[in-house]
Order: sequence, then structure tokens, then C-alpha cells
Amino acid sequence: MSSQAAAATLDHHHDPTTSTGIPNKKLLMWAFLASDCMFFGCLISTHLIYRLHPPPGTPIARQVFSIELTSFSTFILLMSSLMMALAVNAIQKGNLKSMRWSLLTTIFFGCIFLGCQVFEFNTFVHEKHLTITNSILGTTFFTLTGTHGLHVLIGVIWLSGMLLYSFTGNLTQKDAIDVESMGLYWHFVDIVWIVIFTAVYLLEYI
Amino acid sequence: MSASDSASAVHDPVQSLVQSKFWIFVQIAMLLAVITGLELVTVYLPFMKWLLVGVLVVLSAVKFMFVIFYFMHLRWDKALCTILFFIGLVLASGTMWALLKLFGADASKPLTMALADRPVAVRIVS
Repeated sequence: MSSQAAAATLDHHHDPTTSTGIPNKKLLMWAFLASDCMFFGCLISTHLIYRLHPPPGTPIARQVFSIELTSFSTFILLMSSLMMALAVNAIQKGNLKSMRWSLLTTIFFGCIFLGCQVFEFNTFVHEKHLTITNSILGTTFFTLTGTHGLHVLIGVIWLSGMLLYSFTGNLTQKDAIDVESMGLYWHFVDIVWIVIFTAVYLLEYI
Repeated sequence: MSASDSASAVHDPVQSLVQSKFWIFVQIAMLLAVITGLELVTVYLPFMKWLLVGVLVVLSAVKFMFVIFYFMHLRWDKALCTILFFIGLVLASGTMWALLKLFGADASKPLTMALADRPVAVRIVS
């Protein structure tokens, strides 16, 4: 059997060298994501609570939001999640070239999402006159979506670093767990957006 | 790779799992895109509010579950990963539910808003 085929039989889901059978890096990432769930849970709750009882003078969210732009951003982030999953699949098969293309596409989609968010914020501030300080809606909205955007930015920087690192020759199939941990973070950013898209945007249109 | 190697690779469950995941991921991504489209259509439907909210919550929960169990590999990983993540998720959801119940109650309405809700005559008298 060739070395590539032999390496392909590596089991990336179980690690017999740890007491839990789970690679430590993966376990650490899942613990972090569980804590991040609570962080975003608080931010989303805060936004929804103030939407329950909007103070007098609060702008009408439906007139401020652009559902077309947000839907496009959502689609882009979902597709970036697909490319990330394919990148992890490629490195697990030892296909470095395919992993690089998938990572590059994920970074591209991540940048499009960030670009859409910058455009959205810019429109809200300059055209809709919604700022982080002039209303409760602005405060909770910009804090929540801004924190999510910061997570996306960190993800894009991490992905770019991993892409550059793959060219040093030190990233092999045995290091697939590094790409997988990064992938877990990226998918988490996606699932948070799934909740934000429904709770913050779509509910305003009902 | 020789013919015998190919045969052994095909029968290797770990390798065949890695091979088959590609199409699973593509199909799930298409499904997620379709669900997002359905969510968009849902908000414009002329039905009762509670029904539309329920449908939106279910659709986003389905998307959430597909991503964590397939893209994040929970389906193939050890159960401890699922338990660990769901501890955080349940705590976050419980906190959200409790806060929304607490602040959704009539007694939690801000005084300015409660005053605005009262009939004009009552406001003038008080």
C-alpha cells in the first residue's frame, strides 16, 4: 500500500493517546465554544428584551434593516461553512492542494460577509441615522452584530495564517486536527449568525 | 496503488467515510440554502404571528442542528463533545428563556411605556 493510502486510514475522530479518546485540541475548542454560546446568548437576550419594550422614540427596525442584504450575507456565510468543511475533508485525505483552494474560498466568502457588514453599518449610521449611542436599538444591535463581526474577522485572520502556514511544508495529514479545530470555530460563527438572522432580522418582519 | 490496495481502501470504513463526506457536505449546504429561502418567504405569509414565529424557530433549529452534527462532525465524534457543547447551549437557552419570561411580564414594563398604554382619560386624571 502506498504511503498516501496508508495515511488515509488515519481515524481523525478518535485519539487513543488521550484518556477521553478525543484529541485535546478538539476538546479545548468544544469547551470554548460552549462558553461562547453563553456569551452570545446574553447579547441576543439583551437585544430581544429591549425589543419587547422599546422606549418612546426608538426607530422602527423594519424601516432600518435591509433584508435583501442580510439574506445575501447569510447565504455567503453558509457557503463559507461548506468550503470550510471541504477544507477539513481535504486535509484528512492528505490533499493539501484541495485544502488550500477550499481555505482560500472560505477566506474570500468571509471577506465578502465582512464587507457586507461594513456597508450595512455605514448605511445605518449615515443614511438611517442609527448609531450605537442615539437609541437602545442601535446600542444592542451594533453590540451584538459587531461582536459577531469581530469573531468573523478573527476567523478570517486565523484562516489566512493557516493558509500561509500550509506553504511552509509543516502542515501534513497528521496535523488535520489543527485545521479541524479552526473549522469548528468557523462553523460556530455560522451557527451564531443563523440565530441572529432569525432573532434580530426576520422577527422584525412579522 | 495496485488493484488489491484499491480494494482494501474501498473496504476500509474510515477511508470510505472520508470519501463519502464530500457529497454529504454539498447536499447539506444546498439544503441549508433552501431552508434560508423558506425562512425569507415565511415572514411574508399572511398567517398568525405565533405560527410564523414557531415555523421560523423550527427552521433555524434545523439549520443549527445540521451544521453542528454534520459540518462540525458531532455525528461522527465521541458523545462527550456533544454533551460538552450542549451544556453551554442549554445554559444559554435557559438564560434566554428566563430573561425573556421575566422581562416579558406586564410588571416588567417600563413606567413610561405603561403610562403611554393607559387610556388618555386615565392619564389626565392621574
